Amino acid sequence: MSDTILLQAQGLAKTYHLDRVDVPVLDDCSLSVDKGEWLAILGASGSGKSTLLHLLGGLDTADTGSIQIGETSFGGAPPSVLDRIRASRVGFVFQLYHLLPELTVLENAMLPATVPSGVGAVSGRSRAIELLERFGLQDRLHHRPRELSGGERQRTALARALVNDPDVLLADEPTGNLDAKTGEAILDVLADLHRDGLTMVIVTHDHAIARRADRVLTLHGRRLQEVPELS
Amino acid sequence: MYQLQLTRRYLTSRLTPLLAVAAVALCVALVIVVVSVMTGFLNMVLASGRTLMGDVVISNPVRGFPHYDLLIETLEGDDRVLAATPVIDTFGSVRMPYPDGDSKDSANVQIWGIEPESFSAVTGYSDTLHWDSLPESAAPHVLRDALSTAGPEVANALDDESKVRLLRATAAEETNDKSDDELMTFVAATQHDGWEIRMRIVALDGPDALKAAVNPEAWQLIVEADPRLGSAAQVQREGLTLTRDGRAAMVMGLHVSKANDRGPDGETVIARDGWWWMPRFDVTVSMLPIAARGGFLEPENISLPVVNEFQSGVYLVDQTRVLMPLDVVQSLTHLDEADRVDPDDPLTVIGTDPARVTMVLVRGVEGVTPTELREITRELWRRFEHAAAALEGGTDVPILDLSPGLGIKTWEQQNASFIGPVEKEREMMRTLFSIIYLVCGALIVAIFWAIVYEKTRDIGILRSVGAPRSGIVTIFLLYGLVVGVLGSFTGLVLGWGITSNVNVIHDALAAPPQWPGFACIAAGIGLLALGVRIGRGRRLLPVLLGVYAFVACAAAGGGLLMLHAAGGIQIWDPSVYYFDTVPNTVDWNAALLTALAAVVVSVVAASIPAAHAADIDPVRALRYE
Ligand SMILES: Nc1ncnc2c1ncn2[C@@H]1O[C@H](COP(=O)(O)OP(=O)(O)OP(=O)(O)O)[C@@H](O)[C@H]1O
Ligand SMILES: [Mg+2]
Repeated sequence: MSDTILLQAQGLAKTYHLDRVDVPVLDDCSLSVDKGEWLAILGASGSGKSTLLHLLGGLDTADTGSIQIGETSFGGAPPSVLDRIRASRVGFVFQLYHLLPELTVLENAMLPATVPSGVGAVSGRSRAIELLERFGLQDRLHHRPRELSGGERQRTALARALVNDPDVLLADEPTGNLDAKTGEAILDVLADLHRDGLTMVIVTHDHAIARRADRVLTLHGRRLQEVPELS
Repeated sequence: MYQLQLTRRYLTSRLTPLLAVAAVALCVALVIVVVSVMTGFLNMVLASGRTLMGDVVISNPVRGFPHYDLLIETLEGDDRVLAATPVIDTFGSVRMPYPDGDSKDSANVQIWGIEPESFSAVTGYSDTLHWDSLPESAAPHVLRDALSTAGPEVANALDDESKVRLLRATAAEETNDKSDDELMTFVAATQHDGWEIRMRIVALDGPDALKAAVNPEAWQLIVEADPRLGSAAQVQREGLTLTRDGRAAMVMGLHVSKANDRGPDGETVIARDGWWWMPRFDVTVSMLPIAARGGFLEPENISLPVVNEFQSGVYLVDQTRVLMPLDVVQSLTHLDEADRVDPDDPLTVIGTDPARVTMVLVRGVEGVTPTELREITRELWRRFEHAAAALEGGTDVPILDLSPGLGIKTWEQQNASFIGPVEKEREMMRTLFSIIYLVCGALIVAIFWAIVYEKTRDIGILRSVGAPRSGIVTIFLLYGLVVGVLGSFTGLVLGWGITSNVNVIHDALAAPPQWPGFACIAAGIGLLALGVRIGRGRRLLPVLLGVYAFVACAAAGGGLLMLHAAGGIQIWDPSVYYFDTVPNTVDWNAALLTALAAVVVSVVAASIPAAHAADIDPVRALRYE
C-alpha cells in the first residue's frame, strides 16, 4: 500500500438474505482513497451506496473482501475490532442526523470521545466546543436536537463525527434531508474541512454534490466504476 | 461515562421509567402487605397457643403422677426454669343455666384443675381473663340479683331522702307536681313497703343510677351482697383466684357459653341484653372419675359459681375448656391424697397415697427455647424419678424411658394437631407467593422490554460511534438497578404505610363515609372538563383520557357510594379469623427480602432485553424508526 493511500477496499461483496430470497447488493467492489482526498460515490436510490459506506466504516461486515484503513485491515474482524475502528478511525454522518434526543448538542458532539477508544471526556469536550464554534453553533451548545433546524442538526452530527479526529469522514447523503440552500452550506463546511486536509468519502445520488469532490465513482449494477469526468 | 449520563437522561426525561418504578413499587407493596398480614395472623395464632400452656408440658394422662410438688421444686431449682405449675386435665360436662325452664343445655368440656397463681406465672392466664369489670349490659342484672338476696335489709336502711328520690324516679307522673317537702311528709307517714320493687326498677338503669338514688348505708349493704358492684376489679380478682367469698369457683372459656356472641367490631355481645352473663350463675359440673385399675367410678357432681371467662384466642380452647381449682378437681377425679388399704383386707389402712396431677406446665427463662427447655426438663425429670423413689408411693412415678404414656413435649408438639393446619396454610401462602413474584417479575421484564425497544435507534447510534455491546448493556443494567432501588424503596414505604394503617383502612371500608364517593365523581367531572378544554376539538387524546378518567372516577365514586349505602364491607370478620384486629406489624424480614428480590428482578429483567438490544445489528438499529 502506497504512502498516499489511506483507505483501500478490495473485492467487497454483500448479499442480504431475506426469508427466501437473496438480495445481492454489492459484488466485487474495490476502491482506494488517498490521504486528503475527497471521494464521491454516486448511485441511484437502492443501488447500495449506504451499504458500501457501512462496510467501509466497519458498521457492517462484507461477505467477502477486505478493507484497510491506514495500517489496520479488517473484513471479517471480530466485533471488538470494529468497535475500535468506528470509534477512532472513521466518523459517520447520516442523512437523518441520528442525534440522541436526550442529550444536548455538546453532549451529542462529545459522545464518541467517551467510548472506550475515544479521546476521553476532557479533550473530547474542548474539541467538541471548538468544532461546534467553527460550525457556528456556539450559542446552541446546551440545546436539545429537537430545538435545532435541520442544518444545525447536521452540523452537530458533523462535529460528533470529527470529535475523535478520525482518519476518514464517511458521509451518507449529508444534505439529503435539507433544502438546497442549507445543503449548500453543509457542503461549504465539508469543503472547508477538506481544504484543511480531511479525507472524506461522501455517497450521494446528486450529481451537483458529486461534482465538488476530487474524484467520483459510480455504483451501478452492484459494481463500482471510475467516472472520468462529470458533465 | 456516557452510560451514566444516558441512564440519567433516560430516567429523567420520559414517563416510562416512572411507570416502571410504580410497577415495582406496587408489586413490592402488595407482597409486603399480604405477607405481613398473613405472617402476623399466624404469629397471633401461635402466640395464643403458647399463652395457653407455657413452653414445655409434662403429661401422664388419666392417672397422672404423685409427688408433683417435689417435681416442681426440682424444676424451679434450675435457674433456666422460670416457673412450673401442676394441672389436672380431664373431661366432664357442665349444665348450663340456659335456657329458661327446667330442661337445660349441657356442654361437654375439658376441665383443667389449676393453681391460679403459679398457673399465671407459667401461662398468659391473667391476660386472657375476659372480664376486667362488670359489663355494662350485665350490670343491672347483677344489681337486681344482689337486691333479691339483700333487698329487705337494704329497704330497711333507706333514709327518707332516698325514698323521695326513689318515688320521683319510679312514679314521675304522680310526683312531678309535688314538692320535696310534701313527699317527705308522705314518706315519713306511710307504712308503704314497695321500696324493694322501686329499687329494682331504678336498678334497670344500672348501678350508678341506684347508687345516686339511695343513701350510702343502703348502698353499702348492696355492695356487701355482691362486692363486684363496689369495685370494678373484683371480677378480675375473683377470676385470678378462682374463688368467691372464699368458696371455690370456676372460670369458663368465653365460648363455652352459647350466650356470648361476637359483635361486628369483635366485642363480646351477651345474649338477652346481658342477662346470660355467665358470672351471674352457678353451674353444675359432672365428671366420671377413673379407678386406679381403670374403669369409671360413680359420677361426681359439684356446683360452682362462674366468676369470670377467659379468651385465649384459640377458638377450640375457648369453646371447650373450663378452669377450676386444682384441689376440687383432684377430689372429683379421686386423684387427691387417699388412704392406701391392704388389697387383701380393705379395712386395714397401710399407708397414704399422695395427691396426683396429670400435667405439669413449665416456663423457661428468657432466652431458653422450648426445645432446649424440653431437654432440660427431661434431665430434671430423671433426677425427680430418682428422688421420688425413696418417698411413699414413689414407685408410682413413671420412669421416663419405660413409660410411653409419659410425655415431655414442647407446646408446639403438644398442640401439633392445631398448629399443623396453620403450618400448612403458611406453606400454601408461600406457594401462592412464588406465583405472585413470577407475575411481578414478568411484568417488570415486559416494561423493560418496552423501554429498550423504544431506544433501539439510540442503540444503533451508540454502536455507530464505537460504543461496545458491554457499554449498551451497562446502560440498561444501571437503568434497571435505579428503577429497582427506587421502586423497592417506594414499595417499602407504601407497604409499611398500608400495613401500619390496615385497621384504619379496614374500618373505613366497614363504615365508609359518603363524601369520598361524591369527591370521586366530582373529580371525574373535573377531569373530563379539563380533557375537553385541553383538546378543544383539535386533539383527541386529552378528550379520550378525560372520558376514561371520568368513567374510572365515576365508577370508583359510585362503588364507594354503593358501599356506603350497603353499610360497608367487613373483610376481616373477627368471628372467622378470630382476632379483633387485622395484624398490622410489618414483617421486616420478608419486606427487606422482597425489596432486595425486586432490585435483583429489575436488574435481571433489564439485562435480558439489554443483551438482546446489544446484539441488534447496528445498521438495522439505525434504520429502526
Ligand atoms: N437489511 C436489509 N435486508 C434486505 N435488504 C436490504 C437491507 N438493507 C438494504 N437492503 C436492500 O439493499 C439495497 C441497497 O440498499 P442501500 O440502503 O444500501 O441503498 P442506497 O443506495 O443507500 O439507497 P438510498 O439512496 O435510497 O439511500 C436496497 O435494494 C435495499 O432494499
Ligand atoms: Mg442510502
